Order: sequence, then C-alpha cells, then structure tokens
Amino acid sequence: METRLMQHELIRLGAGAHALAIQILGNRDDAADAVQDAMVKALTAPGAYDAKQGPLKPWFYRVVRNRCLDLLRGRRSTTETVDALPACGPDPESALDTEQRDSEIKQALEKLPPAHRQILVLRDYLDLGYAEIGVVLDVPAGTVMSRLHRARNAMREELKNYGE
Amino acid sequence: MANDNPNAGEHIGELLSGYIDGELTQQDRQRVELLCQESETVRKDLEELRALRERIGRTPLGEFDAEAWGERMNDTGVRASALIGWILFIGGLLLAAGVFVVGLLFDDDLGILGKLIIVGVYGGLAGLLISVVRQRLIERKTDKYKNVRI
Repeated sequence: METRLMQHELIRLGAGAHALAIQILGNRDDAADAVQDAMVKALTAPGAYDAKQGPLKPWFYRVVRNRCLDLLRGRRSTTETVDALPACGPDPESALDTEQRDSEIKQALEKLPPAHRQILVLRDYLDLGYAEIGVVLDVPAGTVMSRLHRARNAMREELKNYGE
Repeated sequence: MANDNPNAGEHIGELLSGYIDGELTQQDRQRVELLCQESETVRKDLEELRALRERIGRTPLGEFDAEAWGERMNDTGVRASALIGWILFIGGLLLAAGVFVVGLLFDDDLGILGKLIIVGVYGGLAGLLISVVRQRLIERKTDKYKNVRI
C-alpha cells in the first residue's frame, strides 16, 4: 500500500484504535502512545501489511493490540487502577442524561476483564465482523460468537448496578 | 424456554448475539426468529442485547478526533524518520566496525601484539559505550517519574 494512502487510512483508524488501546491499557496517554507506536511500525515497515491477506483495519488493530500487550508486559508490577480510565463518576451537577449514560457504559466496561472489554469494543464500538475480530484477537472466528456473548452478559450484569 | 439441556440457554444466547450482529446462517436466523415468536423471554433478551450494542456503539470511547490524529501523524512521521535514521546509523556503524576488523586481521604490517593492543583499545571503548547505553535504557524503562508532567 502506498505510504500516503496508508497514512490517511491510519489517521481515520486512530480514534478507534485509541478506544481499543484504552480498554487494554486503562490509561489514555499510554493508549495514545501505543497507537502512535503502532503507526510508526506500520509506516516504517509498510511491507508488513499485505492487502491480499485482508483489510487494513483489523491488521492495524492487531498491531495496536500487540503493542499494548508489550507495554503491559513491560509494566509487570505496575498496578493499573480503574481510576486511571477516562471515565469519571456521574457528575451530580450534570443535567445531561446522555453524559451520565455514557459514563455508566464506561464505568461498567472498566469493571469487566480486559478480554471482555476488548471484544465488546471491537464489535459494538468499532463494528468489526466476527472474522475481523478473530484476526485482531488471534482466535478462530468460530470462538468469537461465544466470547462476545459472555462479554455481553457480563456487561449487562454490570449495568444492572446502575439501575438498568 | 422448555429445554432440559442446561447449555441450551447459553447456546440460544450466543445465537441471539450472532443474530443482532448479522453473523448467523439463514437456518440459524430462522431458528432465532421462531424462538422469538414462541417466547417472550427470548424476545426481551434479544431487545436487551440490541439496546446494549447500540449504547456501547454510541458511547464516545476514543479520546481524539481525526484532526488530532492527523497532528499526531506528523509527529509520527518525525519518529518514523528518526527510527529509520537510527537503523541506518547503527547499520553503518556495524559495517564500518566489520570492515575495520577484517582490515586489521589481514594487515600483514602489524604484528599479533599490535593487533591485540588495537583490538583491546577499541573493544574496550565499544564495551564502555554499550554499558553506558544499556544503563541509560534500563533507567529510562524503570523511571517511576517519567510520566510525571511538570
């Protein structure tokens, strides 16, 4: 793929990749760094992406996920707290129902295991198909449906705590 | 649902997930539609899953828009060129060291002792340089305050 075209595509995918990285790393700044590292990797080794193997989107998300996992391994003893995640508690002064509902989703996501968070974001937020999710998570497409269902059930349980 | 198999509920749940995602075969889709007609519980479950999916989809989980990523991409270009620069520099350095070592080995004018002295001096310098770089990298990785913003 031509570098300029790839740059353009990566800019388009940046926000989604960041959302995924936040779910894995639990920190928006580290997540942004991870996405940027993945972009550097994609741009310095454009041959690594083979368009014949499939679309750029799942490939790039996979690169981002791998970078996040590398960073997590590097942290080792660093404990990640849910406080580090971008969502904050419902603002009592806020009159915006949407904001509160968004906050509930973010908080419920934070309480889920990373594997659940990732698959939910990949499917429901980034709108990837099961085959593409299989590429990103490096699992057979057949197992995506059952994992996703477990994640959705866990999410529903969490949301019940918010009066759903 | 009247089903004695304890895994049946789980399987139906998976089917419902697959249904709202449009990932089922025609046969399974029909099966889900039939189940929805027969059971209020299944229908409700399906609606809940659909609503959940929509809610997650609408929630802004990413932090930066395309413009911000465009700016970061410029920075990425700088980082990418720096990375390429480092690769070229280290590659060139290794090549020069290789040429130097080969030249030294086949230099007939220099005795074994002379060669050993030269290898000792340059080898020692290289060792010192590597140990300093290694130390700096370890410090950088384990610096607890690297993310602290002043």
